[in-house]
Amino acid sequence: MTGTITVFQKELADHFGSKRYIVLFALILLLSTVSAYQGAEFIRNNPQAGFLAVFSGAQFGFSFITLMVFFGPILGLALGFDAINKERTSGSLSVLLAQPIYRDSIINGKFLAGATALSLLGVSTITVMCGVAIPLLGFGPTLGDASRIVLFALLTVLYLAFWLGLGLLYSTVTKKTSTSILMSVATWLFCSIVITIVAALVANTLVPVSTPMGSFDQRIIQTTEYTALLQRRSAIQTNIQRISPASLYNEACSSILGMTGGGMFGFMGLGRGAGTPFQSLELTQGIIAVWPQITAIAVGLVVCFAMSYMLFLRLEIRPGG
Amino acid sequence: MSKPVIIQTWELTKYYGKVKAVDHLNLTVHEGEIFGFLGPNGAGKTTTLLMLMGLAVPTSGTATVGGYDIIKASRDVRKIAGLLPEGAGYYEDLTARQNLRYIGQLNEIPGPEIDKRAADLLEAVGLDKWADTKVEKFSRGMRQRLGIAEVLIKRPKIAFFDEPTIGLDPQGTKEIRDMLIRLNREQDLTVFLSSHLLYEVQLTCQRVGIIRSGKLVAADTIENLSSKLAGKGKMTIEFELSMVSPGLIQAIRDIDGVTSVDQENRKVYVHMERDRSGVISEAIMKHGATILLMKPKEYSLEEIFLEYYREV
Repeated sequence: MTGTITVFQKELADHFGSKRYIVLFALILLLSTVSAYQGAEFIRNNPQAGFLAVFSGAQFGFSFITLMVFFGPILGLALGFDAINKERTSGSLSVLLAQPIYRDSIINGKFLAGATALSLLGVSTITVMCGVAIPLLGFGPTLGDASRIVLFALLTVLYLAFWLGLGLLYSTVTKKTSTSILMSVATWLFCSIVITIVAALVANTLVPVSTPMGSFDQRIIQTTEYTALLQRRSAIQTNIQRISPASLYNEACSSILGMTGGGMFGFMGLGRGAGTPFQSLELTQGIIAVWPQITAIAVGLVVCFAMSYMLFLRLEIRPGG
Repeated sequence: MSKPVIIQTWELTKYYGKVKAVDHLNLTVHEGEIFGFLGPNGAGKTTTLLMLMGLAVPTSGTATVGGYDIIKASRDVRKIAGLLPEGAGYYEDLTARQNLRYIGQLNEIPGPEIDKRAADLLEAVGLDKWADTKVEKFSRGMRQRLGIAEVLIKRPKIAFFDEPTIGLDPQGTKEIRDMLIRLNREQDLTVFLSSHLLYEVQLTCQRVGIIRSGKLVAADTIENLSSKLAGKGKMTIEFELSMVSPGLIQAIRDIDGVTSVDQENRKVYVHMERDRSGVISEAIMKHGATILLMKPKEYSLEEIFLEYYREV
């Protein structure tokens, strides 16, 4: 246990001192502040929206949820992708392993340090956003809202920890940091951009919509067949997107914050993800509705960490690295 | 040799896939000695060290280090033994002192004690002026000295050094060598030095083990190893003559006991099974040549070990 704590302290100090972490923290903080302004603006224009729309509403298409969907993978992967293989290439891993510690304390300490750094980032950003929005709006969250915010923060931490775990896995599997960074970038592109395009393409092939998109003929748009068609199409799209943990997080957040119809992938604020219509869901109902999504993220995290753990314990130090 | 045994291996074997890296190695090192572990590149030196420190798991066989089993009690081994691995790395963003402190913490040394030991060690390895400089600015020699300090901060009974002077300039090599000898004398530290540099081993080690293709081919003092070779009846005498004729060379060759003759301008090297120098001198005189110089050629350490490397 002492070994874990020592590694944890050293790694955490490394994160706080690293340019990578500071730059990402600054970027997220800046973008979140901007999104809090947008959220507040959105609430003013939509009086029926509650305080929680600060995190989901966006005038110019960049709500906090969208921000996390888009940047969350980068944050987690950036803190994890070179955790093990960097030490392997530099040769400090064999020095570390020559000390009287159990091997797992290295990987445990590293993961805990990364998760702590990410939690700090997530929680402090959400706090800052509340701090920005309250004076702008002139009212704060109700007690119910506050509990939703706490849950939302926990979910965000879980989501970021998942990406950290994936990064850690990449760093254990690969020998070179250049390989693991490429894998990380590929994963990020896939989960935040490619999957949306693929989902749209597949949905369009399976359920072709004959009307040209530019047409606004009310008679066609309002027919029940047409609406059903669109709904089927969007259901297919959502289901495909669920491969991406980012999309699961998006759905889960929208539900916890009490919004239905948040399932659409909100990248660039398109779709209905902006948080309307505001059929305020009960918190418990909301959690139950997205329990599978939350479980999926948690399972993903456990699988990633368990795999890196096993691989690391079996990792054989060979002559020449 | 009456000193107690500190490292003992029994049929220690390691396969990497189908490749045998270490092959039924039986080795004994006594307390307080500087043991040289010699062998060409890829002979299995590093693998042996990794197994002894518990960084790699033996395929079969076992060993004890300081009385602890390397498989069942590898953590205890790491408490009393230090290793400077081949290509050891450090945390570039941290200073020498911070690196040292981290290693101290991992060894569960109390904080104030770490600071004291770190300061003493940094001075001992000559890094006190750079103690608070980031390691990224360090030269190779400085890094290696930091590595030695990291090995010593736990106050080990045994220190393993894997090619500690590789890539260092002669000055740096000498400093590290002297440091190892001093540690051995002053603190009675058992030093296990792996190297392919024969000269270095000759200067430092009291006893050497020679490993080839994972097998231990010899383990003894250097003097004994060379006399064993010499005892095998190999001897060379170098002559420098006033003149050399083909007839003379042939005449020497015909002498009983001479195995071969090499000629290099007016220098003649005579290889023989036993000392025939008297007969050879007579033959040279008969051919009207004068001996300007005559000396037995000593086997260099290199030749001795090449011989061992070649042997099966």
